[in-house]
Amino acid sequence: MGDDAKSAKSVEWRKSMTTSFFALLFSLIIGMILIQASGYSAIESYKAIFGVSLGTVKGFALSLSQATPIMFTGISFALAYKVRMINTGAEGQLYAGAMTAALIGAYVTGIPGIIHVPLALFCAFIVGGVIAGLVALAKIRFNANEIIMTLMLNDIIKFFTSYLANGPLKDAQSGIGQTIRIQESAQLTKLIPQTQLTSAIFLVILIAIILQLMLNKTVFGYEIKVTGFNLKAAKVAGISVARTYLITFALSGAVAALGGAVVALGVNYRFVDGFSSGYGFSGISVAALAAYSPVGAILSAFLVGVLRAGTITLNRTTRIPVEFVDVIQVLVIIFVAAPALIHSILRWLKAFRIHRRSKELGGAERC
Amino acid sequence: MLNMNLISSILASTLRSSVPLILASMGGCFSTKAGVSDLGLEGMMLAGSFFAVLGSWFSGNAWIGLFTGILFGIIISMLHAVMHITYKVNASISGMCVNLLASAITPLLLEIVFHMGGKSVAVAAFEKPDGIWIKKIPVIGPILASQNILFFITIVLVAAGWIFLYKTKIGLRMRMVGENPQAASTVGLNVNRYKYFGVAASGALAGFGGAYLSLGQMNLFVENMTSGRGYIAVVIDAFGRYNPAGVLAGSLFFGFFDSVQTMFQSVFPSQLVMMTPYVITLFVIIFVVKGGRGPAGMGKHVEL
Amino acid sequence: MELIRMEQITKIYPGTIALDHVDFSLNEQEIVSLLGENGAGKTTLMKILYGMTAPTSGSIFFKGEPLKLKKPADAIEKGICMVHQHFMLVPAFTVTENIILGNEPGTGAFLSMKEARHKVERLIQQFHFNLDPDAKIEKLSVGEQQRVEILKVLYRKAEVIILDEPTAVLTPHEVNDLFAILQALREEGKTIIIITHKLKETKALADRVVVLRDGKLIQSDINPKKVTTQQLSEMMVGRQVNLSKRQPAANIGNICLCLKDLVVKEGGKERIKGISFEIHHGEILGIAGIEGNGQTQLIEALTGMCVPKRMELTVEDQAVKGDCKDFLEAGIGHIPEDRLSLGLVKEMTVKDNLILGYHRKKEFCSKGGFRLEKKILDRGNRLKQQFAIKAPNIGAAASSLSGGNQQKIIIARVFSQNPNVIIIAHPTRGVDIGAMEYIHQVMLNLRDQGAAILLISADLDEVRTLSDRLLVLYEGKIVSESLPGELSEVEMGLLMTGGHTMIEEGSHG
Repeated sequence: MGDDAKSAKSVEWRKSMTTSFFALLFSLIIGMILIQASGYSAIESYKAIFGVSLGTVKGFALSLSQATPIMFTGISFALAYKVRMINTGAEGQLYAGAMTAALIGAYVTGIPGIIHVPLALFCAFIVGGVIAGLVALAKIRFNANEIIMTLMLNDIIKFFTSYLANGPLKDAQSGIGQTIRIQESAQLTKLIPQTQLTSAIFLVILIAIILQLMLNKTVFGYEIKVTGFNLKAAKVAGISVARTYLITFALSGAVAALGGAVVALGVNYRFVDGFSSGYGFSGISVAALAAYSPVGAILSAFLVGVLRAGTITLNRTTRIPVEFVDVIQVLVIIFVAAPALIHSILRWLKAFRIHRRSKELGGAERC
Repeated sequence: MLNMNLISSILASTLRSSVPLILASMGGCFSTKAGVSDLGLEGMMLAGSFFAVLGSWFSGNAWIGLFTGILFGIIISMLHAVMHITYKVNASISGMCVNLLASAITPLLLEIVFHMGGKSVAVAAFEKPDGIWIKKIPVIGPILASQNILFFITIVLVAAGWIFLYKTKIGLRMRMVGENPQAASTVGLNVNRYKYFGVAASGALAGFGGAYLSLGQMNLFVENMTSGRGYIAVVIDAFGRYNPAGVLAGSLFFGFFDSVQTMFQSVFPSQLVMMTPYVITLFVIIFVVKGGRGPAGMGKHVEL
Repeated sequence: MELIRMEQITKIYPGTIALDHVDFSLNEQEIVSLLGENGAGKTTLMKILYGMTAPTSGSIFFKGEPLKLKKPADAIEKGICMVHQHFMLVPAFTVTENIILGNEPGTGAFLSMKEARHKVERLIQQFHFNLDPDAKIEKLSVGEQQRVEILKVLYRKAEVIILDEPTAVLTPHEVNDLFAILQALREEGKTIIIITHKLKETKALADRVVVLRDGKLIQSDINPKKVTTQQLSEMMVGRQVNLSKRQPAANIGNICLCLKDLVVKEGGKERIKGISFEIHHGEILGIAGIEGNGQTQLIEALTGMCVPKRMELTVEDQAVKGDCKDFLEAGIGHIPEDRLSLGLVKEMTVKDNLILGYHRKKEFCSKGGFRLEKKILDRGNRLKQQFAIKAPNIGAAASSLSGGNQQKIIIARVFSQNPNVIIIAHPTRGVDIGAMEYIHQVMLNLRDQGAAILLISADLDEVRTLSDRLLVLYEGKIVSESLPGELSEVEMGLLMTGGHTMIEEGSHG
């Protein structure tokens, strides 16, 4: 098979790369317009954002550490989307995972780090998996809408963990809602001192690779893809759709919970009420930008991490509203969801250019 | 007599909590009946509540604020419409896009316009009417007297919505588009026009519902002030089988829980009390609604 | 007098020319049969006349005036209406609501159901349609639903009525009723076009026959009284067709599949009421019957897609039950009726589609659950060659193949597994004659290799030619078992519509 052999994969890959590229490009441009419209210099801001995030070691480390939880949530969303289920519950699963890991980290004592860290992560993984698994069960059994269920669970879990952190499990010495500090043995290793970059980044890359292999190389991955593309055909082909839904969605929840756990074990060293700054939501745009590929989510999460880190730094010195990063992320989701929108814009730009050129030519002739 | 007062104050606050739910889920009826998912209600509400405050702030007039809220509810609903109807994106995704966009853009505008984080300045809002004559009606008088004018408009809108859907030509056509777009297209109806109309109506009503939150219950905008009411409205729609009468009942049910929760906040930890509406919603969607199918043509497009 | 003239109509879809400079004309008060195979362009031509699709080039004249059709509403305004093959009705709405939609009576924006009901009732009486205006569509039989569709166009004051394959879903009795209605309508001054590929009906009903083939006009002025069905079919196909030659089974072996006492309940109704039969090795068992008499439920029960209320099923003396997976493992291959939506994952590659349903077999899956890529690839290439699947390579997406080649993927997948039993539902629906001959030949070959085949088809000619034994399914029961040639087509038709009681009484008397 030579170069002329257009395999489905390469065609698909090229298409989604183009879509993602233009989605990001257009979103960044609209972001610039927004900054300019709110009275700041867009070029200067972007220079500052990318200069800090990519130009300095600290900035780079901050980008990576900002990216780490959204790598988890991005993979989580991407995985569920493979069976065309929408896991908008990453935020709640994140909180549940963080609380679980923080409790295991704080209250289990006297075991070495080599066991303590994996134990805390494992428990968070299980809790996230059970929460998402129950949602999947309700969808299978009662045909309930998973989007609404996970969104409701987000609020429930947020309030419940907030109650725990402010009530029975509150750190008595602290003024704010947070649990007591975890043991040294449960803390993740810092890769660069005085940054928040921890070994969690290796964990998430490993998870992405494992899931990618599962999707591409195993029969279960094949079943996931068939179920996602054509539910009826999957049933006729003897695939247990319920089982596929259940396992995939539970895995999705488990991965999101790990994202919370690594924040508790590596950044805050405890559960802090309301610690997530929209990590769950960022996961959606990360997954969309990666065309729902787990390994791709690592890369796209890094891009979003760069934006987040840059604006955090920028926010310290200027009054540029950092909220525009969220808008950029939503725009990315919109453009990726409707690639036709991108094509329309490109066509429109082309027509505009041709129109301009012909006008220029016409003008030249007249001269 | 104390009990009587307690009951009437619960009922009054039930009605107040129900109004935004009634409006949003009425909006959901319109888009669902036209065959378009109503998952974007939350975003439309949130946009409505922010822009209502913005309009009121600019003009100093609550009515202009209300219309601004409705207008922007429609504008943001068009994102859903364009993505789903014109570009055939899955309606769950386009609905979520509306929600995400509203929740991202309102804090940004809060910062840009008011230079404030978290909430806006206080603006002109809707006051309770003096209601001298209403008070005199026995039993329900005091309950109605504690409602503002928007409540009464809402009741009129529910009736008008029902008449529109079931007693007018356009309503019948819209329902047919929702049931079988292909069939509607073959008798010469412009299917997309009816779908756009349904979505715009849902945006207007949800925007109104949002404006009620910011200008009817309060006089300012608070970040994420809809706090999931749009999603609750989606559940109410399925619960009420997408019928204005059904969603009215559903909204009162949820409004009741919303209003009693405030009474328990002094007894139980506030977080647990605030959690309960979501627990109830979750329970309803799993065990009561059971998938509650909408019209047969939900999410279907005309194929040529 | 000439009513409509379509001149030099061309329609190009990406990759295919659906219509190639076709001329078509229509006179007042005639019944024209538009004859052609699937994909000949009949429906496309009529969709253009109805304003649903725009032609790439060509022009339309109505009573000599040029006519621009942008949407169906434009055609309806001129009195051109269409009854679609798949009924365009809303099951949850009443007869009246369905009929008036788009032209509702009432004042201003408001709807007057009273007036609507009155109008519909008058129409029903005028044409002797025997319908209840307040009945919900979901409660009506297929024949009644079709009458609602016809009322819909009459309500719109149709002058030209286009019917797309109107007899496909009707019982012979209902077909006679329909023909009587259409002839009455012609007497009332209406002009009627029927799109069909059924030759006998064309001969029975039409005043004039127009034949299309491969998007080209073949003949536009055939008097059906003066041609034989053989001549018509040759015009339609463009060559000699030998479909009706029987190839009887040479060696029928032992019992392969044995079904006892199948009862399927669906929607609170018993759709299959106690069926038993067996299929031998090397035999094709045909199931004839009008659609909707339990065929779907029978297929679903025999493939594990639904759980029947009662069923004893053995294949090679092994009991079979469970879900689709267990049935596949028991060696029951299934070529579904709705092949492309049930049998194919368009987004995936040809090779991945070739293992669908068999992907957990040892050949393709290691003990640890990993795919054996090399074997999947080898098999894909082998099957591509063996079944002549036209694809650039087996890594291409199934969606990039033509419809016929997509069908071949499914056939190759099932047949290459050497299943004990093959269940084939409506194998030639929606395929052209070439593909039909091919599918029939593959089936016969497989039978001669010893497979047990269950053929379910609504096409009486097809089951009669291919089957070695014939069952007739009526309202969930088997009403007759016969050997090929034992019963005439008329007798079969009668059995299919519940006429078995009459035959029995007749033979007794």
